Amino acid sequence: MMKTLPLLEARQVFKGFFGNPVLKGVDIALEPGRVHALLGENGAGKSTLINLLSGALRPDSGEIRVDGVPVSRFHPAAARAAGIAVVQQELSLTAELSIAENIGLGAFPRRFGLIDYAALSARASEVCELVGLTESLCTPVGDLSLGRRQMVEIAKALFRKPRVLILDEPTSSLSAHEAGILSRLIERLRGAGIALLYISHRLNEVQALCSHVTVLKDGVVTADQPLAGIDAQGLVRLMVGRDAGDLFPAWELPRRGEELIRLRGFSSGLARDVDFSASAGEIVGIGGLVGQGQEDFLLGLYGAMGSSAREAVIAGRSGPLKSVEAANAAGLAYVPADRKREGLVLPHSIASNLLLPSLGRIAKLGLRDRGAERNLVARLVKRLRIKGETSRPVQALSGGNQQKVALAKWLPLAPSVLLLNDPTRGVDIETKREIYLMLKSFAREGTLIILLSSDTPELVHLCDRVTVFGEGRAVATLPRELISEEAIVGAAMGINPKGSAP
Amino acid sequence: MEQKAVSILKTALRNPPLLTLLLVALVWLAASLTLRGFGAYGHLRYLLELSAVIGIVAAGQTLVILMGGIDLSVGAIITVTAILLPLLSPSADPTGLSGLAIALAIATGIGFLNGAGAAYLRVPPIIMTLAMATFLQGLLVIVAGGSAVSVTNAAVLWLGQARPLGVPSGVMLWIAVSAVVLVIIHRTPLGARLLALGANPLASRLSGINVTRSMLVLYAMSGFFAGLAGILILGMNRQGYVGIGEPYLLTSIAAVVLGGTSILGGRGTYAGTIPGAILLVTTTALITVVNASPGWRSIMFGSLILALLLISGREGRR
Repeated sequence: MMKTLPLLEARQVFKGFFGNPVLKGVDIALEPGRVHALLGENGAGKSTLINLLSGALRPDSGEIRVDGVPVSRFHPAAARAAGIAVVQQELSLTAELSIAENIGLGAFPRRFGLIDYAALSARASEVCELVGLTESLCTPVGDLSLGRRQMVEIAKALFRKPRVLILDEPTSSLSAHEAGILSRLIERLRGAGIALLYISHRLNEVQALCSHVTVLKDGVVTADQPLAGIDAQGLVRLMVGRDAGDLFPAWELPRRGEELIRLRGFSSGLARDVDFSASAGEIVGIGGLVGQGQEDFLLGLYGAMGSSAREAVIAGRSGPLKSVEAANAAGLAYVPADRKREGLVLPHSIASNLLLPSLGRIAKLGLRDRGAERNLVARLVKRLRIKGETSRPVQALSGGNQQKVALAKWLPLAPSVLLLNDPTRGVDIETKREIYLMLKSFAREGTLIILLSSDTPELVHLCDRVTVFGEGRAVATLPRELISEEAIVGAAMGINPKGSAP
Repeated sequence: MEQKAVSILKTALRNPPLLTLLLVALVWLAASLTLRGFGAYGHLRYLLELSAVIGIVAAGQTLVILMGGIDLSVGAIITVTAILLPLLSPSADPTGLSGLAIALAIATGIGFLNGAGAAYLRVPPIIMTLAMATFLQGLLVIVAGGSAVSVTNAAVLWLGQARPLGVPSGVMLWIAVSAVVLVIIHRTPLGARLLALGANPLASRLSGINVTRSMLVLYAMSGFFAGLAGILILGMNRQGYVGIGEPYLLTSIAAVVLGGTSILGGRGTYAGTIPGAILLVTTTALITVVNASPGWRSIMFGSLILALLLISGREGRR
């Protein structure tokens, strides 16, 4: 059998940070015309491996081979020259620049030493078409929703006509529609002989798109094999090293309490004229394509964004809440999607992040009560099983643990309404499950949970009801018995599901 | 043994307030051994007296910078207090305390306006406070007409001249201010909130911190401390004139940064500003001793500040 020569390869690479080994002798080979999946929990070493493959880091030992030839002193420019492109999970776009400028950044076509804007827009529009970006090329990237930005990021990688394309969680902020475009695009690139590396926490995507898988666990390769013949359970077992059981807890009938939220004609930001109601003990999902006003709806409810309503009763108060403080006082708490920018004070310690919303409550005579604070932090860390020394900066934690901190800090306030904006984005499977169990137990204790999620299976398995948004309006509300991935996506695309009333 | 020394040094390098303090001790020691008269008690006491003024102005500046703002109006507020106080002290009050209270209220009010402009009108603090400074300067020229005003207020003179138990009362005032500010930063919810605001305003707002109220309170505090410093300077000088507060704007910011507080906010402490202020005054004194023309002195001062910043107040790489 002829073996295809890998375009890009890592052989027995070791890499450690501050004496902490992250990769311990990892092999991976990316072949042309193949979609290769890289799986592993957060902290397994996936990001480090990507950084080695793209020249951002250099291995401590072992080698990186391009076209079968070992490269010494590999660096990002050399990787780009070799046709290796990476779509990062953390978006690397400049908000003030236009779509076209972002796409061309670093590889601008030039004419007489100046940027040739005509050539740039011609070539940029080609790649935009590939990824289904219909916005004007002059739109500043800052005006786009997270999902659209992700598509710009992918277009940017394609602009350089890569031979090797590495996609790090490309779908985590994409709507179902955009994810569909992406998967068709991947098929096409594979057909064109490009080697693809695909990193995702969503196993159904991996199974649909990829033909070969490498699984990392604690810096060691635990599997490197064709994907055919392994089911999702098998993949999870390889990643966590044991049987995972079901990711989602079993759905149970909610014990519905008093009505906590009743809105008629509620508007804030992109959200327009929304009717919505929810009661204590429920888990209500908010779904739809990304960027249809769902986030503004939550922010408006939370008083962080101006809002108006014909009628509004929120946690016993009439009228929309005017400030975050008022919302907190009424018993509302909000966990934002972008935990690094909106949820956490990254350079500060885990403890001070956990204490931030409750500082005033545990002060005595205007002074902070160190003893009470220590107890509270210890209790939260224990309850949510947050790993790490509490005096260390929160930015040192993995994504999953950061998310736990962003959630845990609200618990001392015992919120009656918990607003969650994509709480499991970029979070590993183990932490996802912990978060799901936590949400269930909050609901059982009588908390109303409003869960906005771009991960449709999450809505299907967790929610008692799902309200689907389209163009800023609540276009459908699916009761439990009608919730399915098809129904949610269908409602978002304007297909009226049977028997649903908003 | 050597390893231990290295590890102590490393700890010091990571702890800017300690590093600045060590630097002060080093400079004082070296200068006392080489320059005659530098190490005399009277001279060191004089240096501390001068540091007290900068330290008190820098107290408000530290709070504002920690929150991610800046106050460019402190120099103007000092001048306002120093000129208005003699005019506002009612002769019916022999203690002079009422005049003191009025002047401080005005200074606090100006700071409050700074905060209101920054919070409600969303004017960037750097513009708001600069505009306020310019406005105040114009007002003073109209009110005082460019002539110096002498002070007879008993309380002010006591503050500037008295030395109970051999310690200048200005230095005592500084100790009290330091205690209050350190408690605010490290022991009150307000302190924790302002640090969070400086490091990530958006996350802080979504965590329920009232940004508007914090800004009003902190800029008002900065105004108050600038006013307090203005009263102290007036007492030491015995007269106020237009421009008396000008030198204290840049020095207050330099003292904060020398103490290791990030100019971008969110990280630092007043414990660093204290040695920062002393270091600044010492440097000025040393340059004055050197027989150079004023132009060269200024150039030397600028270069030295830059050098000191490279050693102690450097922005931590993140």
